[in-house]
Amino acid sequence: MQHSPRPAARKPPDWLGTGVVALILLALAVLGANIWLNMQGAGVTPGFGFLAQTAGFDLSESLIPYAAKDSYARAILAGLLNTVLLALAGLVMATVVGVLMGLVSVTPSPAGRMVALLYVELFRNLPKILVLLLFYVLAVRGLPPVREALSLGPFHLSNRSVYMPMILPDPAQLWLLLPLGAGALAAIFWARRARRIKWETGRETPVLPVALALLLGLPLAFALLAGVPLVPTLPTFERFDFAGGARLSVQFLVVLLTLGLYHGAQIAEVVRGGILAVPRGQVEAARALGLSPRHVTRFVVLPQVLRIVIPPMINQYVNLIKNTSVAIVVGYSDLMSVSGTIINQTFRPLEMMLITMALYLGLSLLASSAMNRLNAVLRARGARSAT
Amino acid sequence: MIPASPPPAQRRDLLRQWAGTPVTALVSAGSVALAIWLASALLDWALVSAVSPLRPMEACADAAGACWRFYLEKSRFMLFGTYPHAEHWRPALVSVLLLALSGAVGLRITGRLGGLGPRWLLALWGLVIPLAFALMGGGWAGLPPVDMSRWNGMPVLLILSVIAIALAFPLGVALAVLRHQTRWPVLRRAAVVYIEAMRGVPMVTVLFVGVFVLPLTLPPGTRISPVMATLIALVFFHAAYFAEDVRGGLQSLPASQTEAAASLGLSWGQSMRLVLLPQALLRSLPALVNSVIGAYKDTSLVVVLGIHDLTSTARMAFSEPGWGAFALEAYAFVGMWFLLSCAFLSWVGRDLHRQQSARSR
Repeated sequence: MQHSPRPAARKPPDWLGTGVVALILLALAVLGANIWLNMQGAGVTPGFGFLAQTAGFDLSESLIPYAAKDSYARAILAGLLNTVLLALAGLVMATVVGVLMGLVSVTPSPAGRMVALLYVELFRNLPKILVLLLFYVLAVRGLPPVREALSLGPFHLSNRSVYMPMILPDPAQLWLLLPLGAGALAAIFWARRARRIKWETGRETPVLPVALALLLGLPLAFALLAGVPLVPTLPTFERFDFAGGARLSVQFLVVLLTLGLYHGAQIAEVVRGGILAVPRGQVEAARALGLSPRHVTRFVVLPQVLRIVIPPMINQYVNLIKNTSVAIVVGYSDLMSVSGTIINQTFRPLEMMLITMALYLGLSLLASSAMNRLNAVLRARGARSAT
Repeated sequence: MIPASPPPAQRRDLLRQWAGTPVTALVSAGSVALAIWLASALLDWALVSAVSPLRPMEACADAAGACWRFYLEKSRFMLFGTYPHAEHWRPALVSVLLLALSGAVGLRITGRLGGLGPRWLLALWGLVIPLAFALMGGGWAGLPPVDMSRWNGMPVLLILSVIAIALAFPLGVALAVLRHQTRWPVLRRAAVVYIEAMRGVPMVTVLFVGVFVLPLTLPPGTRISPVMATLIALVFFHAAYFAEDVRGGLQSLPASQTEAAASLGLSWGQSMRLVLLPQALLRSLPALVNSVIGAYKDTSLVVVLGIHDLTSTARMAFSEPGWGAFALEAYAFVGMWFLLSCAFLSWVGRDLHRQQSARSR
């Protein structure tokens, strides 16, 4: 028997909801009108045309060629790239420190647990700005001037920068992307094949060494055969400063250290929670089945820890990306400090903040969606191997 | 009855704990070495190489350790900055009031201090917040007026953290309700966009919007001081984080609560106010305390805007010519303050967590 659809009940008009929406729209309209009036009063027309004008300020460091005569847009791009560099380095350092300290915090050794606890509590209860300012003062005062830089082989550390060897950039190096892509494809193919063999015959085939050899070997062979220039340069001291090689400012290092240690403490807590959440019975059952300690970790503990740990880890990574903006406090030329400088020069806070916030929002959305996809892949794989 | 025998081979257990495997032994040795090194460095700095507060400032010139006299000379400056010296009792009173009220709220939500009802607390907040601004600003009852640019140090830190958090909380609850409800899809969508956008951008950008864009949105000719602009920006920023915590509480309630409230004849507003929100708030308290700790610590970011909170006055204290050697002393002062205040907040959080897991058991 089929029910005929009931006639929709006539809803009474929703005065409250409409009223609230109207009020919000009215408030936004008033704010917008005021912005327009204020900018007119200052003789500025809102718009993004100014981005093409000459910036006229220098950056302490940049990954792309940049000079004061370049446009504001290029300055923003240079700042964005500096932010990305800082974020990537910070992610690596925070993960290494966090996982290491998380593992130490669950060792049987009371001394190890004590040190891990001290580290985590200290960095969770101090503002990152305070840590950053303290590190900055210590670095600027404690490290030697350029003339007496601490040297370790080709690396030199002074209170201004760290200098290191680098390969001279050359446009021809872009060709290397070709063999790199081919290597990646081949590595993926090899991994699939290894899994199929394992599935059908149970035999193990080496995956990681082959993949690494493909990823590194193909571009290297290509460079040698095609004659792509890969010229290393070493930093050498000339009259006042080092020349050649690459340099990272002490500001960069200090922010990196702060972010790495600060988020390392948070990640250590996440890792500790993840490990403690695996029921003891799982380990005991695996041992009872005769798995070696290495295999217990690899096949029983680690997969479960990863599942628990990855979602809060994504959260931490996104927070770290946002927190790179504290670099403005010590004057590292990241996105935030570049846009602060531009605001001071042009009196265009509205446009600049829209651009800056959109870029940060994009970065954190990009990171979280990439990590969520990784998480989904890991989960799907876990579900498949469980059946 | 046979008395329980002591666990056997306690010595072997100790050895296994400290050095059961080579890795454990390595961790133990490394940790002990690190701990000894840290403790001796701290002891050396604070006591052995330190200069006693009884000796004059000149004795600190070439000392390797802490200069305790620095605190005698500069504590007041770090706490209150450039606020007129004769009027220091005003920022001191404001700080004490705000700290006492925050402490009372912290104790109240852990179930201590039962006599202080929520209405009383609300009334106290309504009294203390305007009083703080009135006391700091002066210009009434014979108090000399003090410009906001001279509000420095501890009271600014507390105004920008305690008051911002207190004002952000109701806004956060409202946003959480808007995002949770389904009656007004437009408002729900708006709340989602607002919350996610705020949580997707760094706090510094929101502070910049507060100080540089907010004045543009006021009618031409009006001015707003940076402290007030920052306070407003912080309220809007923290509210998005609180909203997510409260929404977590709302989502954790079983649907039967809404249905039971509806079947009792309660309207949507009544069921939200009397049934859902009280339970949701209770459940979201631990998450809220975490967010509060984060918000409180991040307040120091206002140094970027040239607002002088405690961290910034500490930096000023050693930036004057002749005082440059005392950076460590100045930052240690701020660090101790944050360690102590965060310890209280963490204790509140842990206590709530314990109570909650005891309740659910």
